[in-house]
Amino acid sequence: MSGAAWRDTRATIQLGIDAARASLRAPWGGAAVYEQMYAIGNRSALFILITQGFLGAILNLQSGYQALRVLGDASMIGEQLLPLLIRQLGPTLTGLMIATRVATGIAAELGSMKVTEQIDALRMCNASPVDFLVKPRLIASIMMVPVLTILGILSAFIVGAATVYAVFGTNPRTYATFDQITLLDPIECMLKALSYGALIPIIASAAGLAARGGSEGVGEATTRAVVSASLTVILVDFLIGGALFPFRI
Amino acid sequence: MIRFIDVYKRFGAREILKGVSLDVDEGQILFIIGKSGAGKSVLIKHLVGLLRPDAGRIIFEGQDITRFKERDFYPLRKRCGMVFQHSTLFDSMTLIENVALPIRKHQGLSQRESLAQAAGYLEAVGMEQMASARVTDIGDGLRKRVAIARALTLSPRYMIFDEPTTALDPLSALRIDRLIRQLSDERGVTSIVISHDLRSVFSVADRVVMLYQGRVQLDGAPEDFRRSVDPIIHQFVNGLPDGPMEL
Repeated sequence: MSGAAWRDTRATIQLGIDAARASLRAPWGGAAVYEQMYAIGNRSALFILITQGFLGAILNLQSGYQALRVLGDASMIGEQLLPLLIRQLGPTLTGLMIATRVATGIAAELGSMKVTEQIDALRMCNASPVDFLVKPRLIASIMMVPVLTILGILSAFIVGAATVYAVFGTNPRTYATFDQITLLDPIECMLKALSYGALIPIIASAAGLAARGGSEGVGEATTRAVVSASLTVILVDFLIGGALFPFRI
Repeated sequence: MIRFIDVYKRFGAREILKGVSLDVDEGQILFIIGKSGAGKSVLIKHLVGLLRPDAGRIIFEGQDITRFKERDFYPLRKRCGMVFQHSTLFDSMTLIENVALPIRKHQGLSQRESLAQAAGYLEAVGMEQMASARVTDIGDGLRKRVAIARALTLSPRYMIFDEPTTALDPLSALRIDRLIRQLSDERGVTSIVISHDLRSVFSVADRVVMLYQGRVQLDGAPEDFRRSVDPIIHQFVNGLPDGPMEL
């Protein structure tokens, strides 16, 4: 890891610690958190519903085609895909979508504030940028990413069932077979969603607060935020999936 | 009294300040001039902890603040108002909310109480009619006035103005010059003003410091600058294209 990358990583970890500490103490900044919940949750909902819906359609179509070729029967697609959707595709693809939509927004907004000296002005007003800017985004994201994940899973499930019915004629009641789902699946799903919800705003805020120069610096910060957040989502997915794997066998 | 003692600051390979030393006396209006990139804004940001020196010391009212932590600067910032170069109002807030923020944060008042106080400061700069306007709805001159109202909210003993008259029409610039003079004469406020506006320098300043290539080139009264035979100062003051200072 280069010196600059290591410095960025250390700054991100430090920001995470500071923001976590700040989030545990009052005041909670109700209005600011509510505003961020709207920005992160409501304004991402349609995006998540559409992307996860299409993903559900594609996944079921491809799996059904494969099942027909190998087994000559596509009726078990739902039973096989639902656990995967809940523990893996639902949270992680939602995390990746949030990393693109929300992380870029946070990094661009905080980056613009940094290069136009608004962060310095906040510090002059005795308002800590961590308390004032990062904390509401962190709290809102931790609350909204699990909600978006559930929405995404529901969207993929409903569109997937409709696709399977339309293409392979599988009855939706047959599709909605939950026998293969264990308690560990929703636990893994929520663990991932909460982790992404906590990490994405921290990574994006750290990138934004490190922006330098003018619009070019904001652009670099935005790119860095989305790349780092996406990589982190994949890494955390692997780590949580790997950590829970022994409990599955 | 404020003292900068042999302050050095570097950003990457660029050395911005190369041993700047200067004192700022109580109640004085000190103008810091110099071409763009000379380190003027960098120097004054050290005073309120927005930047930390690589070497050297900064003394604020007899206290060495060089190694202060972020939290240690909060009481100091309460005594210093700062008007940034681009006004730096918060886009997400109305004008009155911008002015109320330092009152709420520094004095721990409720939103309602801080807004009531903020209204008075907006009135002082003639902006009370636009209290509920968004920052994006007003131009540079008006933003500057709101930024000044915000900086004055805590009745600071020190005011830092970073290019307060840049991009303003002559009348708005004159209004701000008068305000700076008034703060010094009526309230004994010490002002540090960064400016390229030589008209302001020669009409308002008690003392002028010119930074050049990270060092103090001249420190004296406005008249000393007018009469200076130093070719760099002569070129700068007269805006000459030819001379030792590269364009």
